[in-house]
Amino acid sequence: MKMSCLKGTTISFSCLKLAFPSYPSSFQNLPFRRTIKPLSAALQTSPATSPSTTKAEDQVARSHWKAAIDFKWIKDNKEAVAANIRNRNSDADLELVLQLYDRFFNLQKEVERVRGERNAVANKMKGKMEQSQRQRLIEEGKNLKEGLIALEEDLLKLNDKLQLEAQRIPNMTHPNVPIGGEDSSMTRKLVGSAPEFSFPVKDHLELGKELCLFDFDTAAEVSGSKFYYLKNDAVLLEMALVNWTLSEVMKRGFTPLTTPELVRSSVVEKCGFQPRGNNTQVYSIEDSDQCLIGTAEIPVGGLHMDSILAETLLPLKYVAFSHCFRTEAGAAGSATRGLYRVHQFSKVEMFIFCRPEESEHYHEELIKIEEDMFSSLGLHFKTLDMASEDLGAPAYRKFDVEAWMPGLERFGEISSASNCTDYQSRRLGIRYRPSEAPVASPKSSKGNLAPPLFVHTLNATACAVPRMIICLLENYQQEDGSILIPEPLRPFMGGRSVISRKL
Amino acid sequence: MKMGCLNGTTISLSCLKLAFPSYPSSFQNLPFRRTIKPLSAAVQTSPATSPSTTKVEDQGARSHWKAAIDFKWIKDNKEAVAANIRNRNSDVDLELVLQLYDQFFNLQKEVERVRGERNAVANKMKGKMEQFERQRLIEEGALGTQLPLLCLLDTRVLHAGKNLKEGLIALEEDLLKLNDKLQLEAQRIPNMTHPHVPIGGEDSSMTTKLVGSAPEFSFPVKDHLELGKELCLFDFDTAAEVSGSKFYYLKNDAVLLEMALVNWTLSEVMKRGFTPLTTPELVRSSIVEKCGFQPRGNNTQVYSIEDSDQCLIGTAEIPVGGLHMDSILAETLLPLKYVAFSHCFRTEAGAAGSATRGLYRVHQFSKVEMFIFCRSEDSEHYHEELIKIEEDMFSSLGLHFKILDMASEDLGAPAYRKFDVEAWMPGLERFGEISSASNCTDYQSRRLGIRYRPLEAPVASPRKSKSNLAPPQFVHTLNATACAVPRMIICLLENYQQEDGSILIPEPLRPFMGGRSVISRKS
Repeated sequence: MKMSCLKGTTISFSCLKLAFPSYPSSFQNLPFRRTIKPLSAALQTSPATSPSTTKAEDQVARSHWKAAIDFKWIKDNKEAVAANIRNRNSDADLELVLQLYDRFFNLQKEVERVRGERNAVANKMKGKMEQSQRQRLIEEGKNLKEGLIALEEDLLKLNDKLQLEAQRIPNMTHPNVPIGGEDSSMTRKLVGSAPEFSFPVKDHLELGKELCLFDFDTAAEVSGSKFYYLKNDAVLLEMALVNWTLSEVMKRGFTPLTTPELVRSSVVEKCGFQPRGNNTQVYSIEDSDQCLIGTAEIPVGGLHMDSILAETLLPLKYVAFSHCFRTEAGAAGSATRGLYRVHQFSKVEMFIFCRPEESEHYHEELIKIEEDMFSSLGLHFKTLDMASEDLGAPAYRKFDVEAWMPGLERFGEISSASNCTDYQSRRLGIRYRPSEAPVASPKSSKGNLAPPLFVHTLNATACAVPRMIICLLENYQQEDGSILIPEPLRPFMGGRSVISRKL
Repeated sequence: MKMGCLNGTTISLSCLKLAFPSYPSSFQNLPFRRTIKPLSAAVQTSPATSPSTTKVEDQGARSHWKAAIDFKWIKDNKEAVAANIRNRNSDVDLELVLQLYDQFFNLQKEVERVRGERNAVANKMKGKMEQFERQRLIEEGALGTQLPLLCLLDTRVLHAGKNLKEGLIALEEDLLKLNDKLQLEAQRIPNMTHPHVPIGGEDSSMTTKLVGSAPEFSFPVKDHLELGKELCLFDFDTAAEVSGSKFYYLKNDAVLLEMALVNWTLSEVMKRGFTPLTTPELVRSSIVEKCGFQPRGNNTQVYSIEDSDQCLIGTAEIPVGGLHMDSILAETLLPLKYVAFSHCFRTEAGAAGSATRGLYRVHQFSKVEMFIFCRSEDSEHYHEELIKIEEDMFSSLGLHFKILDMASEDLGAPAYRKFDVEAWMPGLERFGEISSASNCTDYQSRRLGIRYRPLEAPVASPRKSKSNLAPPQFVHTLNATACAVPRMIICLLENYQQEDGSILIPEPLRPFMGGRSVISRKS
């Protein structure tokens, strides 16, 4: 088991400085009307124990954050970015972003010019001079200062607007990704075959009812529709799935985690999810800046937020167990029966931080792990290279796994593996320092240290418990309504081989 | 393993009808200005799949609910209730409750009298009679369907008839408001207290048993934070950035230790005949209230969801208590014993001081909880059973702990009696609470509407129309911690630390950690 203590070797730095374009460091000391608290203040505070400090932290975290978007690259690759926005069916306004960036760029130069003048005046004041001349310089300095304050405030506002628009630009797309809507997604692989039944097939709801495995009706009264209790052997099946998955993924060198399930909404945003708005999938906490996580991808992505990792630590591979909460706003239709689409579920999630040149390799590794695990459970499934319009904004490429669900009589998604390249790391501020500087730069004052680069992040479902329960119940049902337990899970269910009514 | 499918055998009944005093069933059809939706509407709806139906359900659940408080008993036992309120250090105003109840009682009689008059008028209408008489009665009863006829009639009589109906509407509305006020005050009355419970504050809690002895160390003892840091088991610093203070990641062997604790606990408690559950962790705030917790207010321990009526559970006691809400159970099903695994979420508002280091007081944690529904005469017995299970489990982990009969002022409103277990934590250098077992008698069941039908009717009553069915009685509920994971991790790390900073894994957990016997830096 791999057990490196990471915190000791990471270097913390401010998020504000990470942002490109960057502010001069003196900026934050100016007397703005709007209170601008640098995020770094929150980040560098050690964890507070008194309630009052906690509150201050929360307020700071509510401030804007800036993504380190490479505007120069976007400008230089305008055609490709525009084509990508079209291919992803995104409504990002590239022209507006570039206009705002040009204005920002010019205003920034203007601010620097005025600041230079003011410094020149301040320097002149140091010498001896006549009273009238000093008075004139004071007057001039005052005017310059007021002008500078106004300009700097404009610059901040412009940057906010630029960020708002630019953060909507989706990640670029892998050249092999099929362009188009869901129908264009390409089957990469078909594994196993559908089980044949000599008796009428039941769906998981019917099977679960007979075996007393779920209670949706009471949960609807206690919590709301699409909530559920797991009962009896379903509880043991969930534990077995989680335990088996953790142990399988840990064997492959992943570090196990459990995570907070309440996170600041800024972290949700930095991972590329929208915690607010009418159609949000995210539950927010009243009178707080916190949200419930929809996936452990969010707290695991946040694990190395605002840090520079040593290259030798990469890749960092994690496997996290968490409960996930989703509003499922707007979800309706036939795909919502029983356990298929629910507000709360257990999930084991894989996450990798790696060097950019390795992310494609690890993407393949993740889908291979999924394939191995679902194969060993004897499922019939296909892996898909998802089409461009089906990718979330953070994904560069996404492989879905859809398994055969005989009761629902269709393939259903059971997992998803995404390469997010540097989309999340530019928002979360996660970089690494290459061990070897490419070329020793005499201009660099910091000796031979190579400039830090953004890591790539990847995430993949190892086991979404309710979907897996659907698969197991429907595929392993027997004529008498009992369920065979696949071999690999038996040691995690006390050696039992069957779920039946009478035990 | 016991596997009774309960839902099939329970009988659903409306919460409104359960409440005492009850409304006449015609009540809800009257045109009130205030919208009054009976809870039953929400409760009896089958789980909806379309978003629009969900919304209606949520609104229905936001209506008031009524606890089936036995006001007559309180009135008859006024002195005992008043003494209990004092002993529990509660600020409930019993005098106010009794005043409101008397007002309510009298107003209810008045409503029934007026309704009777009106019904008498309506009944006369049914018989054949002369047209003139019929028209006069129509006026008197102000029957809406016959309105066109009214214009022919003497306006003086019309006025009198209208007054009867309007008077009733006004009275009934007053009755509703009065009942709301009565419920608001009366729901704050704490449960009665077991005669053996020591009266007083926390210091009066009585140690009933001391188990094991504190381990002796030949080296300087570390606390769990230090041990965890060296073994890379927690990350509080990053969690403070990502989520807030008092959140944490578990890493490496701490994850396996959590899974082992949960798996071992579930398997131990299931062996003793408990049915395993996982539960929703978001519940309607009314359920939280019915279990005796306060989901609102400045010092609430409960996280609420924005733009919703839902809360995060602070304990699985809440969704498990709700499992048989608004139902009458067959006596043969009792006792119902459940063991539930859930994550728990608490704001810990107001919590501060030395007891909050590391994993001791955190916003989110895993917990395995036991819960029993039983006949009233059995609850003391099952309370002993629950504390015995806790004792057995903590003993088999080799912990040094004491069991406390908690003092009256330390009981939450629902508890009739509470046994806490406090275990020795060598690093923190004190005993710390690791579990709690409460007998809530009928406090929660009167709010959740959970009754059972005794098999034998006490005396066959010839007047009863429903043959030999005995009247349903409220069940008793009990809850007890089987394993609060972070507190248990504190105990295991601090008690089983070795000189080299490694941790011995107690025997019973080893099969659940792949046979390993030690947590060390290199493993």
